[in-house]
Amino acid sequence: MRLPRFDYLKPDTLKAALELLALHKDDAKILAGGTDLLVRMKNGLLNPKVVISLKALNELSYIKKQAGYIKIGARTSLADIIASDLIQKEAKALFQACEKVGAITIQHYRGTIGGNILQDNRCQYYNQSDFHRSGHQACHKAGGKICYAREEADRCNSTCQSDGATALMALGAQIILAGKDGERTVDLADFYTTDGIMPHACESHELLKEIIIPVLGAHSAYQRLAYRSAIDYPIVCAGVLLKPSPENEIEDARIVVGAIGRSPLFLAKASASLKGKRFTDMTAFKKAADDSMNASAPFAVHNVGATLEYRCAMVSRMVFQALEQAAFSAAKE
Amino acid sequence: MEKIQIVLDINDKPCEVMIYPNDTLLEVLRDELDLTGSKESCGEGVCGSCTIQMDGKPVRSCLTLAMEAVGTKIKTVEGLANGDELSDLQQSFIDHGAVQCGFCTPGMLMTADALLKDNPRPDDKTIRKALAGNICRCTGYAKIITAVAHTGNPQDHCPDCKIGSKAKE
Repeated sequence: MRLPRFDYLKPDTLKAALELLALHKDDAKILAGGTDLLVRMKNGLLNPKVVISLKALNELSYIKKQAGYIKIGARTSLADIIASDLIQKEAKALFQACEKVGAITIQHYRGTIGGNILQDNRCQYYNQSDFHRSGHQACHKAGGKICYAREEADRCNSTCQSDGATALMALGAQIILAGKDGERTVDLADFYTTDGIMPHACESHELLKEIIIPVLGAHSAYQRLAYRSAIDYPIVCAGVLLKPSPENEIEDARIVVGAIGRSPLFLAKASASLKGKRFTDMTAFKKAADDSMNASAPFAVHNVGATLEYRCAMVSRMVFQALEQAAFSAAKE
Repeated sequence: MEKIQIVLDINDKPCEVMIYPNDTLLEVLRDELDLTGSKESCGEGVCGSCTIQMDGKPVRSCLTLAMEAVGTKIKTVEGLANGDELSDLQQSFIDHGAVQCGFCTPGMLMTADALLKDNPRPDDKTIRKALAGNICRCTGYAKIITAVAHTGNPQDHCPDCKIGSKAKE
């Protein structure tokens, strides 16, 4: 498969990159690792006039701890995140998520964390070759008025299958988006729009610069289900965070379910039900997991291969396993 | 759109090529430089048959723009052997019958070679994890894993394997 024609630009500084973005806006796409962008371009889903490569911007590749926050540059490769002791210790869910993206030896040296959380939503009816898609009418995401995943749906139901986004949302991360005229900080939870066509709120003149994870002294875990352990996107995934109180009870909990809806779902009610519970209370975990399943099932559509019933049932398993793991790491301390 | 002249460092040799910005590294290797060892199969980063090494790390060349490879050291499967003398890994693949149709072999070799550089004595689990991104259509995984595990190991480290390392004898 050949790539469509484009102009290749490689700015040397962040400032130059932002000026190029401000100039080209919608005509430009950012290339970091390329493992998502180039596949979409090969499939004819994207056809940018200009590709702006971040290859020379080593200033966007770092992991550091600063004033109670872990700061990760957007172009940091997944391999660097996995190799970082800081992430393994303080943000285990992110470590577990990055470890499972794509294939271990390959995409990790190209794939970046910024690209992972900014990846477009996917759907088995949309992410196909030109030839495949030419066999049927255009869906919502392709500019038409049909949804093949859910009958009579009036909007796109593509699924956010980012591992990183689910884990980072559970960790309560924020991101910094830089534009030519300044930066803005957004909670990752507010960043996703639940719109299948424009899944996140990154404007065309903006560049993801940094990811900020608060260090809460909490225990986190990430679990995912996919057909193959490598290569495949998750069909269900869950990230959880449990914060212990001085009495060693759960002071705060966050449960996020991914790969099931148009964006990662933060399940407020199921999370709140764990407050004040003990780390050994498996009945409470089971109930929170079932609540998560019931709350997220209405968002699921049949568009990533596995049957809907199976995926929904597995939400409960993934959440429970993640909670169990987080509680286990709490018990170890 | 005009062709651009770039210099790529491939198998320790500088190669001057004229390319379009939208050429992938795989297309340049195969079509411009006649290094047809790296194969194109899926073209979208799933199968791993186009794996090459960039600065010693395995990378899918079908998802790497040739422009992005400028300034890096590229090694393809053609760079594994020293003239007519095969590398230990290649010899081990032959000795252990790890090649069937052979289409995935270049990718397997490049991934395994990078693994063995970091970890000369990997256990089965490490090998399986490292090769998880390379698909073998003939499903000859068992022999591929044996071949990687036994690369360069003297006979006494291969108790289950009668062949051991023939290349060493």
